Amino acid sequence: MKEDPDLVSIDRILSGERSLYAELVDRYKRYVFTISFRIIQNRPEAEEAAQDAFIKAYQHLGNFNRQSKFTTWLYRIAFNTAISYKRKNRYQFEDIQHAQLEILQEAEGNLEKLDRKKFLEKALQKLTEVDRTALTLFYWEEFSLEEMADILNVPANTLKVRIHRARVRVADELERILKKEAVTL
Amino acid sequence: MEKTPNNIDEQLLDYLDNKLSPAAKSSVENLLTTRDDLQKRLQILKIISHNFHGQKREEPSKNFTFSVMNRLDESPVKTGLSTSNGIFLLIGVILTMGIGAWLLSAGVFDQSSTTIDLNKIPLTQPYIRFTLPSISVDGKLVVNIIVFLNLALALIVLDRVILKPLFQRRIQPGQ
Repeated sequence: MKEDPDLVSIDRILSGERSLYAELVDRYKRYVFTISFRIIQNRPEAEEAAQDAFIKAYQHLGNFNRQSKFTTWLYRIAFNTAISYKRKNRYQFEDIQHAQLEILQEAEGNLEKLDRKKFLEKALQKLTEVDRTALTLFYWEEFSLEEMADILNVPANTLKVRIHRARVRVADELERILKKEAVTL
Repeated sequence: MEKTPNNIDEQLLDYLDNKLSPAAKSSVENLLTTRDDLQKRLQILKIISHNFHGQKREEPSKNFTFSVMNRLDESPVKTGLSTSNGIFLLIGVILTMGIGAWLLSAGVFDQSSTTIDLNKIPLTQPYIRFTLPSISVDGKLVVNIIVFLNLALALIVLDRVILKPLFQRRIQPGQ
């Protein structure tokens, strides 16, 4: 049976090849950053949280018990780190301003696509950070329900219901926004 | 528009995720041909799925990996009290408690009591017409309360700074 390349890298890092950790960071930085960004919704802070998550993972690499996938363990650290950041710094008002600025910056692109994205982002704001991250992981289609539950630290059955409710809630919200937009046009 | 029942949402989501049996699938398709509201709902759910599926992973800055590698030896970000600050706080609290207890036992506060006459406070005079009671303050009681609060604070700091990290290290010896 072919050995998991992540585990091979981890063994080599633990035996002293520290520079190999850069490969793991490169491999998963976009995923870790996306999780942080979904929760914090502020790019510089999300980047700092994502870096801290990788540093924590490195410092506790010896404690990784290999019963779960490395990514499950890493994303759980990323999720917890981002949640701590979010609790420490409340960015509610800054978020809205930041989101508006980003939308304006992207306005040169396809208007219809931009509107959809904008409305969807608006609808997503109505969800909790756990539900937003759960939806992101769900659509990545890389994890089983149990693995996602492990990352988000919620029971699998609860998570299944939460994902379903989150999808319905986003649909309700999007429908409401689109209706409102249609009236204003 | 009539309210879409929750189980219909579930069926539409399963339909989108290709999780329905052939029979259930054709039943949903039949419903869709007759119900405009369900078609619209399906469109909305499709937009959500399509956008999420098409969503790229967010890209961090170019020097992300370099920054992480440079910061590997940094101590992790601590949200609570650092060990050294915690120990200083603990020493301070114990000292304050000790001094308080010593002064109490020496009888320094035995005679220190005062009475606060609320009627003499200038702010209350224009607004309150009836006579306010006088409050007697016992200095010994106040210092006792301060010593007790310090004791509670000392126990909390001792738990957070020394006991909790010690037991965590015992549970995870590799750390």
